[in-house]
Amino acid sequence: MSYMAPIQHDVEDPGFSLRGLLAPVRSVGQGVLAAVSTVGEGGHLAGRAVGAIKQVDIWGPRLVPLLVTIGLASIPIALFILTFTGMVLALQASYTFTGTVPKYFVGALVGKTIILELGPALTALALAGRVGASIASELGTMRVTEQIDALEALAYDPVAYLVVPRVLAGMFMFPVITVFSLVVGIVAGWLTSLAMLDMTTPEFVKGLRLFFDTYDVQFALIKAWSFGLVVTGVGCFYGFQTTGGAEGVGHATTRAVVVGSMIILVLDAFWAAVLL
Amino acid sequence: MRGIHKSFGGDRILRGLSFAVQEGETLSIIGPSGVGKSVTLKTIIGLITPDSGEVWVDGKSVHALPRSDLFELRRKVGYVFQFAALFDSMSVGENVAMGLRCVTGMTEGEIRKRVSYCLHIVDMGGTEERRPSELSGGMRKRAGLARAIATQPKYLLYDEPTTGLDPVTTTTIDGLINRMAEELGVTGIVVTHDMASAYLISDRIAMLHEGSIRFVGTPDDIRTTDDPVVRGFVEGRPDLPREVPA
Repeated sequence: MSYMAPIQHDVEDPGFSLRGLLAPVRSVGQGVLAAVSTVGEGGHLAGRAVGAIKQVDIWGPRLVPLLVTIGLASIPIALFILTFTGMVLALQASYTFTGTVPKYFVGALVGKTIILELGPALTALALAGRVGASIASELGTMRVTEQIDALEALAYDPVAYLVVPRVLAGMFMFPVITVFSLVVGIVAGWLTSLAMLDMTTPEFVKGLRLFFDTYDVQFALIKAWSFGLVVTGVGCFYGFQTTGGAEGVGHATTRAVVVGSMIILVLDAFWAAVLL
Repeated sequence: MRGIHKSFGGDRILRGLSFAVQEGETLSIIGPSGVGKSVTLKTIIGLITPDSGEVWVDGKSVHALPRSDLFELRRKVGYVFQFAALFDSMSVGENVAMGLRCVTGMTEGEIRKRVSYCLHIVDMGGTEERRPSELSGGMRKRAGLARAIATQPKYLLYDEPTTGLDPVTTTTIDGLINRMAEELGVTGIVVTHDMASAYLISDRIAMLHEGSIRFVGTPDDIRTTDDPVVRGFVEGRPDLPREVPA
């Protein structure tokens, strides 16, 4: 029997063609099953985390250091991004409004856009890269080096010890960082208006107050809170799911950032539809 | 363990594994790499859930226990991981203290004393402040052993405690395992490839082969067995068959 014979048989076999036709369907089916499985596993981890909240003696001592590493250490990157965002918004608003609407509308656009959208969303996207990746790689490394198994063997609930304090720190610190971002973004827009757009402070403030509503700030904080939950929760989930060695940790980190960013954008649209 | 089956994907690792360990004895489990020895140890303390079968420890069915009772049971078990699994965000002292912090009623002073004593036992006195990344492989294993014995467990599970160690450190670890059994009456299960260690530390040796126990007996029994698969493994002879038709 020649080496090629089975291949010729396969090509002529109508069953082979059917299999070939069904291959994309099979891959879609497998993708859907994998997605459903991931959602189920995520739900299971979330359920365990909610159940573990009562173990305050386990996660309590871990919370303060994580508030610092997740929160305070993230402030510089968030402020950097919002500084330049505020500047660009002021310049683009001036470019758009010149000759059509009064100049003080620059303040209105800077304030409204930063508070409602860019402050919370850009901060969260930046932190998905910094915080989400950091959590996924740390927990992923702990998973592949059996440190999470060691926690279990020492009778610690790893969800209470690792997941709960990170998620709580994210839920608490994201709104705090976002408040700093909003202030810095608006201040950057104001200073840019003074320095480059020949505006005065009363003009900028007039525009800023024109459409300002305290509900906008509440809206931003609700979004930031939910983004904190998502970024830390997704990071923990992919960290816990890590398999293999360094490559597995790399995959987990990438997935945490990509999936976290996607959920942030979906949630952003969700809150806009529900709360505005 | 009774009738344990465990598969990962399409690989059937454990196929009806059953064995019992007597109180106070040290049982070594030997077998080729990938045969499921570490899976067996992790199944014993509920880190891995079997597809079917039962594990009984201290009169309790491990996989039927509620989580809180499972943690209670785990406090009686020390686990020495193959690569130590030290928490790299903590110092050596904090690693050893981790299990003790779960034990209610111990003051910080008592915990420090116990940590110091356990590190002294494994010839690592004075290393409390060092980080795991600063330790050699042998020191990491000894620190892992110190962490496992800190809570004075009734049972100790050792996953390849001497693999990759120099002969002197191997002898030290073997001596510690014997001391745990003889002085403290600890019941031990040791997963190992190291036949010299297995002969020294074991009351009985079991060979895991194709997902179940192929042989179990005393060190003398295993030396004199005429089972070609067992002899091929313990004597390191690839010329003897690795599989024998039923």
